[in-house]
Amino acid sequence: MIDVSDETSPVGRVLGTADATPLQFWTAVAPGSYLQLDDVVVTQRDLPDREPVTIAGVVTQVRARHEGAQFDSDVFAIADGTLPAMVQEAAEITTTRVDPELYVPPAPGAIVHRATGEARDAALHFDRMERRVPMGTGRDGVPVFLNADFLDGTRGAHVSISGISGVATKTSFATFLLYSVFRSGQLGADGANARALIFNVKGEDLLFLDHPNTKLDENTTKAYALLGLPAAPFPDVRVYAPPRAGDSSGAPDVSSRLTGVDSFYWTLEEFCSLKLLPYVFADADDERQQYTMVVHSVTAHLNRYAVPAEGGVSIDGKRIGSYQELVDHVVEQLTEDETRSTWAGSAVNMGTVNAFARRLINSKRDLSRLIRGDLASRRPHQIKTAASAQVTVVDLHNLPDRAQRFVVGVTLKTEFEEKEKSGTGRPLLFVVLDELNKYAPREGSSPIKEVLLDIAERGRSLGVILIGAQQTASEVERRIVTNSAIRVVGRLDPAEASRPEYGFLPPAMRQRALLARPGTMFVNQPDIPVPLCVEFPFPAWATRKSESGPPPAETLRSIVQAADPFAVVGSGGGGSDDDIPF
Amino acid sequence: MDAWDPSYGSSFEGGEGGGDGPASASSAQVDVDVEVPAAEWAPIDASSAVRPPDVVFLVDGVRRNDAQLWTEEEDGTSYAGLAASYAAGVVRCDLARGVAELAGARVKRGLFTASPSVGDMRASSVLYEVHRVNGTGEASKLQAAVQPPLTALEIDISAEARSGGSDGADLLIVDGPLRNRRHLPRTIGYVKTQQKQYLPAAQQAVVPRLRHGQRTPVFGLGGGLLGGFSWYLRLPNSTGAPWSGVVRVECSPDLSPDQAIELAELSGVTLPRFASAAYKDPRAPQNLVPIAGLERRLRGMLGDARVLHRALALETARSRW
Repeated sequence: MIDVSDETSPVGRVLGTADATPLQFWTAVAPGSYLQLDDVVVTQRDLPDREPVTIAGVVTQVRARHEGAQFDSDVFAIADGTLPAMVQEAAEITTTRVDPELYVPPAPGAIVHRATGEARDAALHFDRMERRVPMGTGRDGVPVFLNADFLDGTRGAHVSISGISGVATKTSFATFLLYSVFRSGQLGADGANARALIFNVKGEDLLFLDHPNTKLDENTTKAYALLGLPAAPFPDVRVYAPPRAGDSSGAPDVSSRLTGVDSFYWTLEEFCSLKLLPYVFADADDERQQYTMVVHSVTAHLNRYAVPAEGGVSIDGKRIGSYQELVDHVVEQLTEDETRSTWAGSAVNMGTVNAFARRLINSKRDLSRLIRGDLASRRPHQIKTAASAQVTVVDLHNLPDRAQRFVVGVTLKTEFEEKEKSGTGRPLLFVVLDELNKYAPREGSSPIKEVLLDIAERGRSLGVILIGAQQTASEVERRIVTNSAIRVVGRLDPAEASRPEYGFLPPAMRQRALLARPGTMFVNQPDIPVPLCVEFPFPAWATRKSESGPPPAETLRSIVQAADPFAVVGSGGGGSDDDIPF
Repeated sequence: MDAWDPSYGSSFEGGEGGGDGPASASSAQVDVDVEVPAAEWAPIDASSAVRPPDVVFLVDGVRRNDAQLWTEEEDGTSYAGLAASYAAGVVRCDLARGVAELAGARVKRGLFTASPSVGDMRASSVLYEVHRVNGTGEASKLQAAVQPPLTALEIDISAEARSGGSDGADLLIVDGPLRNRRHLPRTIGYVKTQQKQYLPAAQQAVVPRLRHGQRTPVFGLGGGLLGGFSWYLRLPNSTGAPWSGVVRVECSPDLSPDQAIELAELSGVTLPRFASAAYKDPRAPQNLVPIAGLERRLRGMLGDARVLHRALALETARSRW
């Protein structure tokens, strides 16, 4: 029962000139008061022989007009002081909660109050959330929460974030949400043990998650404190980057972040034994071609006949030391009449084989630096979240498209299979993937799309939570979008906003999404019938080199001693105490 | 062409051929020498030296017949009754601030009848106070019986509106002749339709010659309720018809001629500002914009006619059983 007392801030009365319905009604705003979009209000309806019904809702539209004016030009006479008229504001309220559940309309004339404190929490269903993850503040500056039940798979999982690239701040919101999950303590041990796998697809923005943000000011710190979060960078981050092209030592290819980066690659032996060849052909249009049959038989052949040999592999007695050599060998075997049928099967015509060969040769340039025969197989080089830090960032931004698809596909498949094998939904694994429309397009199918669909449909029980971001949800596989319990929208393209994928946004909110400022998101969660407008704070971690503070000590230690030895000796506490001062 | 909507009649009741102004001659005594000698009558321009008042009050009332009814007396006879709603209101136009607001408005409802037995009538939540009419009380005469209480209400409300403080320079404009409202200070009556010809022919000829914003000299009207000082004024937005846009303004006879002339000057700079536009108001330009707005508001305050009619019908049906 939501408590409404008459003394607390009445803002108006329910209108009688427009229909008041249990789910939507208009409120005339009293003179001297105001209501803005997203304000939470509450009203009561007395019933005979029953306890009164409390109807709470949020403002979804506000209008002001001159009463007593007939013509548009009357406004000049009114402003001139010759025509008497009254300015009347009215607000459209969309009901969020009826308590007890008796769907009667509010009575016209009933007093409407601004909901604060417990009444606001109740109106927005926060009081029913056992575990609430803060995700920012509402327009009224008070925290709004996400029901953790719909995030960790208890009752739902997966997040879908849509918005124009650049202004919609999709990635920032995804990382903030992760931060909130890890640091708010609302998920208990699950939150602390949870892992995150983030694919960094553009720029090096996500490579500094563990660096403090030098532009962090007092207001932002306060905003974090309001949400019950420390304003700090992610504590435990591991960054993986692909090896530099043409560099035989396998040093990671990053330009701005120099410390604490590991390179990732696959050995030829892994490539063959783990059946990774299909991920080379992960384009959506690859699947439409006839040669998928060839891909699968070649994959099977490599799996069966390749044996490890000094870093590389040996097939049919021939030693292969690099991806180029592997491709050349496969193409040679396929073009030879005697060997073709053993590699590709007998019912394959030459045109199909040639199409496959052409694609395979094309992939040499893109993948040769990721699939290696010259680097030690014992050196840690695989992306494994279970063995990595809390947050694993995989840098893809300077990889060509085909290589990006390969890395995403293989990594997701490996992680998902690990989870399947362990058979338990814990620890949770959050996967942040931007440009979902590229990896799981609505049309066609590809090995990556299969993995993503698997995650969307079964990940909830296995503890794999997909946080997918895309410019246009209409271009993403529908089953992935519909499986997302939480839908988030930032600034939208006008043409995109009118698509049915955004049907959860009321019309007024859909219009506002066209104007949303960076840092403002509309979040729809199954608990609350109206999407909430959320402003999340500026990141407390660096998002680019220029704003990054000193790197955490652990990352430096891998290269050189963190602190100046003399400073430590002199002051007795420059860096951390365990450091040996030389 | 006359500017008014034909359904409202004409802004003046002309004789045959029209164009000569009001047809029926008034019996009132006219003193045309108040401001200038009769021979020197000519249109007078609005004085540029006079500043319009910052605050102008405009008073008007509206009325509506809600239902006609008949009483049932014990002796078997029957009297006609009229249930009417009437309202009066004041608009306070603060021209300096550019705010026009409803300074006061009151709605009353009355049951007008000659029946000696009828008491106040309550129709659902609305109370109709009984106003007993003298005489036989034919249905046709009841209409006129509504006017005195309405005028009384207008006087009350305009006095109340000013009680909040008058800066001594404000102006109260009453819609229609002043009649018994002449004791209100700094008040002018505003007559939209010209039915009587007051001026002698020579002076009458000046009126059609008025251009927008010009007025005739002040003349005195003698005797009775109609007495007082008066002048004609042509409002802007009028068409080319000889008497279109001409209004007659009057003020109290208790004033000195100089005070009357001062009010005439004031009206010349104030009223044109309030003139309405033909496409918005069927009685433009004479029906002033604040008055039109006020009437709309007051009509709104009278309540929905159908709701009241139904309530009255229910009430009368119930009381017959």
